[in-house]
Amino acid sequence: MIGRSVGARRTQAAPSRALPLAASLLFVIFIAIAAWITTSLAERTDLVRHTLTVETSLSDLLSSLQDAETGQRGYLLTGDEAYLGPYTRAAKALGGEFARLSTAIADAPVEQRALTELRATTAAKLNELRRTIDLRRAGDVAGALAIVRTDHGRELMDQARVIIAGMRAEEARVLARRSASAALFSRTLLGVIVASGILAVVFVALWFRGTRRYARVLERARENLSAANTQLEARVAERTAELQDSNDEIQRFAYIVSHDLRAPLVNIIGFTSELEATREDIRAELPETPKSQAIDRDLTEALGFIKAAIAKMDRLIGAILTISREGRRAFRPEPLDMAVLVQGLADAQRHQTDEAGAMVEVRRLPMISADRLAVEQVFGNLIDNAIKYLDPGRAGRIEVSGEGIGSRVRYQVRDNGRGIAPQDHGRVFELFRRAGAQDKPGEGIGLAHVRALVRSMGGRIDVASEPGVGTTFTVTLPRMPAAV
Amino acid sequence: MQPVCIVMIEDDEGHARLIERNIRRAGVNNEIVHLQDGASAVRYLFGADGSGEASAGRAQLILLDLNLPDMTGVDILAKMKANRHTKRSPVVVLTTTDDEREIQRCYDLGANVYITKPVNYEGFANAIRQLGLFFSVMQVPEAE
Repeated sequence: MIGRSVGARRTQAAPSRALPLAASLLFVIFIAIAAWITTSLAERTDLVRHTLTVETSLSDLLSSLQDAETGQRGYLLTGDEAYLGPYTRAAKALGGEFARLSTAIADAPVEQRALTELRATTAAKLNELRRTIDLRRAGDVAGALAIVRTDHGRELMDQARVIIAGMRAEEARVLARRSASAALFSRTLLGVIVASGILAVVFVALWFRGTRRYARVLERARENLSAANTQLEARVAERTAELQDSNDEIQRFAYIVSHDLRAPLVNIIGFTSELEATREDIRAELPETPKSQAIDRDLTEALGFIKAAIAKMDRLIGAILTISREGRRAFRPEPLDMAVLVQGLADAQRHQTDEAGAMVEVRRLPMISADRLAVEQVFGNLIDNAIKYLDPGRAGRIEVSGEGIGSRVRYQVRDNGRGIAPQDHGRVFELFRRAGAQDKPGEGIGLAHVRALVRSMGGRIDVASEPGVGTTFTVTLPRMPAAV
Repeated sequence: MQPVCIVMIEDDEGHARLIERNIRRAGVNNEIVHLQDGASAVRYLFGADGSGEASAGRAQLILLDLNLPDMTGVDILAKMKANRHTKRSPVVVLTTTDDEREIQRCYDLGANVYITKPVNYEGFANAIRQLGLFFSVMQVPEAE
């Protein structure tokens, strides 16, 4: 009843597995987003650097063009080759600068087009410059100046400036567009993170609440269980006390009965003896006639039966008394080396064993802590029985073995004797009951006594037997006596 | 000096008769007073007033059975040993009980001898005859 209600509450209150799962999932999403942000930031930095690279390249290009023009102007004015230095350097550098820029804007088709245009303009400008320089070097100053005065070079230069400005503007535009989208993305991301955070907190709170409630339920269940346990212990103690009481009562009863039965028995025995003595007196007084002899014979027979019955009654009462006294005797447990003890019992019966042509084999036996006298009586009786009820048709073999089973120890006394019929297995342990052919002396006390002893020690005894094959008595005892 | 009187408190008439016979066989011819239950034993020993003066001046030896129909012999023993008139009278507990605690209790209360009735008749008769022999040499003081 208690168990069921606890179980029902458990299914009701167990916190959902989905909550921590969802929280973990959110956590994973968090990490993914963080990784993404880091990557995006790096990408954005790359973009800015890219723009700067383009800007620098454009500046370098313009500056090289201007250097080239400056060199040309100086030479045209002076005719001094030294003034041509900037021109020569710039003309050389321009190729590399174009290549760098081309690489930098490889992904921007608009700027690629502008670059092609710029390349053409630059080529035209360089061509004009070279022509004027060549003329001046040939001594034709006027021809060279005429070319300059056509304003074609200045126009080309202006054109290049316009193209470069356009490219700069385009680059700035791209950067702005990318920044705007990045900002939007960042805002969205921030929203997602905040939302996820809130959700995670809610989940954790929910989970925590569920766990706490579950813990409370568990605690309550535990309290119930411990209360039930305490009750159970109290009930067991109560029942044990009741059983002990009724057991004590049975013992007292057996004791009283045997004593009360004994009192009249003393009279019967006593007066029978008195009667015998009186008979002797009568016989002395009576004449030796056939009739008186017949009377005397009848008297003798009657007295004989009475005495036999009394003797039997006396033995039975004595048995009850012994058993009840054994039940009342306080056990004094001590560590017993069972192999030695049982071997000693077997040796004590050596005479009977040899007479029966049998042998008793004592295997390795686990130690036990128990009352020596009680254990000796148990195994003495079992071995005695085994020897008594051997099958005369074959050599008797009695084997005593044992093994430990946790806190208990199991001993077995196995024989190959005549066996016990299945319907008698319970009967053999009853007082004054015997099984099988009644060809051996005995009162049917031994096994009843053994069972009473084994039970008093907190153990049990069982029999397994097959008629004509053999019998095994199994005695299970606690390794240590239960604390009282 | 008064002759010693044997007071036998025994509810079983058969036992009483057997005890008496065997005592006599031992050659003890003292008077035997047989009391069959606790109440009459108390009345005999302590008188109608219960003071115990009834026993004053008597030289008596008590043979006490513990299993009496109306009370336990232990109570009579305790009462006797607590009474100034009867406390010196020797008490022989003769009973079927051989319970160790019962024996201890009787000696604690002042019983002089505790004998278990043997079930074996020969043993029983023997014990009683020995007891009779013991009686014949025993000194019994007169009650105050």
